[in-house]
Amino acid sequence: MEYGFDIAYVYKYVPKLLSTLDLTLLIVAGAIGTGLIIGLLVALPRLYHVPVLRQLSQVYVSFFRGTPVLIQLFLFYYGLPEILKLIYIDVTKVPVLYFVILTLGLHAGAFISETIRGAVIAVNRGQVEAAYAVGMTGYQAFTRIILPQALAIAVPVFSNLVIAMLKETSLAFTLGVMEMTGKAQSLGALSQHFLETYLSLAIIYLIISILLERILLVVERRLQRHMRRDTPNRNWLGIRRWLPLRRLTQELNLDKKEVPHYEA
Amino acid sequence: MKLDPSFIWTAFVKLLSAIPTTLEITFVSVFCGLIIGTITALARIYRIPVLAQLSSGYVTFIRGTPMLTHLLLIYFSLPMLIDGLSSEFGLGWNSARIPMIAFAFVSFSITAGAYMSEVVRSGLYAVDRGQMEAALSVGMTTPQALRRVVFPQAFAASLPNLSNSLIGMLHGSTLAFTVSVVDLNAKAQIVASTNWKFFEAYLAAALIFWGLTLLIERITAFVERRINVYNRGGVA
Repeated sequence: MEYGFDIAYVYKYVPKLLSTLDLTLLIVAGAIGTGLIIGLLVALPRLYHVPVLRQLSQVYVSFFRGTPVLIQLFLFYYGLPEILKLIYIDVTKVPVLYFVILTLGLHAGAFISETIRGAVIAVNRGQVEAAYAVGMTGYQAFTRIILPQALAIAVPVFSNLVIAMLKETSLAFTLGVMEMTGKAQSLGALSQHFLETYLSLAIIYLIISILLERILLVVERRLQRHMRRDTPNRNWLGIRRWLPLRRLTQELNLDKKEVPHYEA
Repeated sequence: MKLDPSFIWTAFVKLLSAIPTTLEITFVSVFCGLIIGTITALARIYRIPVLAQLSSGYVTFIRGTPMLTHLLLIYFSLPMLIDGLSSEFGLGWNSARIPMIAFAFVSFSITAGAYMSEVVRSGLYAVDRGQMEAALSVGMTTPQALRRVVFPQAFAASLPNLSNSLIGMLHGSTLAFTVSVVDLNAKAQIVASTNWKFFEAYLAAALIFWGLTLLIERITAFVERRINVYNRGGVA
């Protein structure tokens, strides 16, 4: 295995690997989308204390948080067809990609349900009581009052989950999905320049995760705009920090805005 | 191919022999990671000129890339480095003599180090500034104050995060199969493919991992109760 390190391969492989980026991002989006739906469904029984479903969702969360993703991938890839065969559903022709998205979605769902639960619990109980007091139904109170506030609390944790999911997609290659890591392996095997290939792979992952972090930070700021910080806008020297004009005008107009207008 | 529930137990027994390898990888990487993490966290907290920037670059890079790429990068770069050094200085080293598990140790330690760095940093920030000042004012040196006053409290504060990282590394150790270390996952693969019973073997592996995770959670909860004794309110 005598070969020199050649930096030219790193530049050469970045565009080649980027051609499979859409597949990686598709897995991330699919898994997070599935996870959001599952997470919400799993969190609800625990939030509303539904007897049997609550224990079931506890076991589900414990299992998916207590086993490695890799094992889950193998388990579902090999196990799901066999279980579905018992009820005469043939899934042997289904592409591997769907198994990957489903498994990662179930994995993400466990973490997302915990995030949702934590965020909803973190919303002040007085909020929901106030919502009931003005005559909202349970559904209205949840969607109009609790959800927007819980979302703002959950988003930082959620963005961590998205970035973790991006990194977990690299495991899809073990089932033979040609996403970025799989592509990198075949490129490396072709040229025998493994180190350069994986270096460009790492650089792409790094850039994507930094980009994702930035985007999610913007979302976070936007969702948290209703949360005014209670701490005075002073640093430790006691000098008032520069305030953006928009925030300043917002603060000045605050008393005007907060007069509620109820229309019958 | 039919479901064979009794094979789950057979596989379970066969897999038990691979638990020590998995635990070894986990604990070695977490322990080395803790050392790396503490050094990088201190460098960043004390803003030591070059080291602080290097540390944050290291943490950003490692946390922004998958664990698998670290393992593969180490797996392909370490032999080159060692062979290069050995031919340069005539040390007579040979990369072929490195056991496979060493690659897992090195790469997972580097991975764990970056995550630990954040854990240690947040733990140290959780300790009240007055504690350090009080320790210095009674005449302790900075290392003494860190060791006797700050670190124990930081440890208590970061215990939940530490346990999460430990579980993360336990689950991450399954990647070691890519460099042909026979850990739990690799053993499950072997048992599965020799008996052609994939689902049962992986189910057994999943159950073992689940058990280990719950065990770590229990132990942490116990240690947390013990270690936070100093922190409780009341008089007795």
